[in-house]
Amino acid sequence: MKFFRSVGEVFGYSPFRALTQHAKLCGRAVGLLQQQFFAYKNENFEEVERLREEIDELEGHADQIKEEIRSNVTKSLMMPVDRHDLLEFLKVQDDIINNCEHVGHMLTFRKVKAPLDIWDEFQILLSKIMEAVNEYEIMVESITRLVATSFSRKEVISALEHVPMVEKIEHECDLVQIGLHTRLFNSDMHPLDVHLMVQWVVHLGYIANAAARAADRFRIMVLGR
Amino acid sequence: MPVEMLLLLAAVVGFYVAWNIGANDAANSMATSYGSGALTLKQIIIIAAVLEFSGAALFGKRVTHTIAKGIVPIELLDPHLVAIGALAALLSAGFWITVATYYHLPISTTHSIVGAMLGFGLAAVSQKYLEITQINWGVLAKIVLSWVISPLMGAFLAFMIFIAIRYLLLERFRSEKVEHVFRYLQVLTACYMAFAHGSNDVANATGPIAAILGYRGETPMWVLFFGGLGIAIGVATWGYRVIETVGKQITELTFTRGFSAEFATATTVLFASSLGMPVSTTHTLVGSVIGVGMAGGLASVNLRIVQKIIFSWILTIPIAAALTISLYTIMVIFI
Repeated sequence: MKFFRSVGEVFGYSPFRALTQHAKLCGRAVGLLQQQFFAYKNENFEEVERLREEIDELEGHADQIKEEIRSNVTKSLMMPVDRHDLLEFLKVQDDIINNCEHVGHMLTFRKVKAPLDIWDEFQILLSKIMEAVNEYEIMVESITRLVATSFSRKEVISALEHVPMVEKIEHECDLVQIGLHTRLFNSDMHPLDVHLMVQWVVHLGYIANAAARAADRFRIMVLGR
Repeated sequence: MPVEMLLLLAAVVGFYVAWNIGANDAANSMATSYGSGALTLKQIIIIAAVLEFSGAALFGKRVTHTIAKGIVPIELLDPHLVAIGALAALLSAGFWITVATYYHLPISTTHSIVGAMLGFGLAAVSQKYLEITQINWGVLAKIVLSWVISPLMGAFLAFMIFIAIRYLLLERFRSEKVEHVFRYLQVLTACYMAFAHGSNDVANATGPIAAILGYRGETPMWVLFFGGLGIAIGVATWGYRVIETVGKQITELTFTRGFSAEFATATTVLFASSLGMPVSTTHTLVGSVIGVGMAGGLASVNLRIVQKIIFSWILTIPIAAALTISLYTIMVIFI
């Protein structure tokens, strides 16, 4: 149909659904990473490789969403949140899945031999990260309600309640990391194995860190209206 | 050519313009109620047809007066010349609206007809039938001012209404409940909108016809009926497709937001009708939506449309005027 004029153009691109989709991908990537560590521990390296690919795919998809948001959120849009705050928030959220991808790759570098209790520690760290990212996802999903209620005070308070929770779990991750580092540096594993595992721990920490920083950017975005 | 023949031609073109107003302008003003889901397509068409017609018939007089003799002092001209001029204006506006619609330009039917009537006046001046000072520049200035004020007023009213809804209702009650109540209120504003739109925009078709009929201050009722009917038929035969297309673009508008934008627009337009000012309903609606956005009601408003609308003003007035001058000159020579 060609013969029409429309006022519809006054409604601009809304990035909020895409933002929650992006956050969901982050959550799924952490889930896959957890599976990948489990497969590694069981020496199922084919599965490790397959999961690396799957995480790569998720990361690629997340990048597409990020590009979509960045290319559509132009200066001429009037949104209930500041454009720069939103883009900064997105950038930090993207770090979550980027770091998942890094760790996914690092798991394929070398076949590390490590004692069982170290693997158990890794499982604890990963489930803590999962917990943080789950909490984070719930927080980001609340943006739909925030927009629907035009950021009513009640909804803002309940959405921001998740921020200190993410931060608290991130701190718990830090403690597990410290324990793991100590264990690794005092083990009699092969030095290269230690080195790689330390890298894993550091980058897993970046994931939790990114979640906490993104939660903080979310708070800045919501309050900075 | 006898005046009767010109009148018949004007009736045909006037009907086309009215049809177009129904098919596009009325449809756009009703699409907000479809986008939010307050009404089904069938319900909207019935409401639009009945209330556009009522608005046109009951309230369309004053704006028709402004278009017919507010700009060009037709009482000073030979009736035959007036018939040719008004027909040329109607043809030009009709042609420009058609072209612009094909290119999806957010132009206004109102601006087209005002530009066209101005063209007729200028053509009469160039032929020395009128002095340049005899064109009602004062009225024209008021009209242009009303074009600036109406979207601003729409924005202001919509802003105030939505701020009130936000702080009095959305802050206190569950948003689902509030939206549910406004679903019914939006049915009322949809009616209000159709009525207001009919009362203002019908003049774009009926103004020139009234001028040809030798307007002396009273528009015959049948002319308004005729215009109202054209709009209603426009909604029913083409407008429903436009409502569907536009409605799909504006699903973001919930009942509270739709209510705010519609109430603000309809109030502004009806107020303009009561002052006899021909304003653009669609531009006012755009202003109102921006107002809701400024009140924090929308996820995203694209302000680039403001530039587009200003551009369409700058384009419409000279084009409609120039087209009318050309057509008028050709008609005077050959008829």
